[in-house]
Amino acid sequence: MSILPQKSAPNDDTVRPQLTSLVDVMTILLVFLIKSFSSEGSLVTPAADLVLPVSTSEETPRVRSSIEITKKAVICEGRVLAGTDSLLSGDSLLVPRVYEWMKVMRQRSSDSSGSELVIQCDREIQFAAVKKIMYTCSKAGFTDFLVLVVREE
Amino acid sequence: MLSLFRFSRPPSQIVDNADVDVTPVMNVFIILIPFLVSMAVFTHHAIVEFSLPPDLGTSVGDASEKPVPRLTVRIGTDYLGIVLGERMLDSLAVGPEFPFDTLSARIRMRVAELGYDDEVIVASRDNIPFKHVVRVMDLCRQAGFKKVGLSSATADPGAAL
Repeated sequence: MSILPQKSAPNDDTVRPQLTSLVDVMTILLVFLIKSFSSEGSLVTPAADLVLPVSTSEETPRVRSSIEITKKAVICEGRVLAGTDSLLSGDSLLVPRVYEWMKVMRQRSSDSSGSELVIQCDREIQFAAVKKIMYTCSKAGFTDFLVLVVREE
Repeated sequence: MLSLFRFSRPPSQIVDNADVDVTPVMNVFIILIPFLVSMAVFTHHAIVEFSLPPDLGTSVGDASEKPVPRLTVRIGTDYLGIVLGERMLDSLAVGPEFPFDTLSARIRMRVAELGYDDEVIVASRDNIPFKHVVRVMDLCRQAGFKKVGLSSATADPGAAL
């Protein structure tokens, strides 16, 4: 008696699809997915309309207070604090609405790691906008700045 | 007589007739692949640390201390420069593209020449896209600088930052 199932008779109408090529595709897919598997997941989630700059830095992101500078607005905790265009057109380095919000945020996290701020900035944003946000946040009590980037592979 | 082969047909023919049922393997794949897709990270993020110059930070150093001339990399749409204190060491004209490869070589050369790799200031003009600022910060770190500061560049490269 054979271990393998008997081949069906030639006059059997049952159609057996060939799964070999599909298994090949699945195997390649499985290898790729295992390679990009991460048990930690992503600690930070950038905003949808944000294209981060690319860097060779390999320092892993830390969960800290963050501020996002997109092409349209400056956002913190999902709240729009200022428009990017108005930020660039203004003369003053201090942005009052951002300052008020960041001051409250700094008081909320009074420990040493609370002085760190992650800046999520779009790659095409002019440096002037980043400079104003940095200045405003430093006045609000943030002393250590981190820029979120996409790691170059 | 005891034969090595249990079958009357040659082994090549037996293999041709084998029909492996791959359905259980497919079932495992169908469960495993959605799970792995949900856990996969396609974009790896990192952070770049930098410090603020004293005039932007909240803490200002002791005024009695003699200022130490610092190496500054200036980024502008007109040229890229390497400045030590108030002295311009290198100047690279910017064409259609920024000459980052040449700048990298010059920074490394100056680090070797000056024997100084403690701190560098990246000073950018206001109209420079942020991606170029991050690129220059990367070049400085690759050249061996331990600390990278970020500042705003003036029109005059020799002016105090």
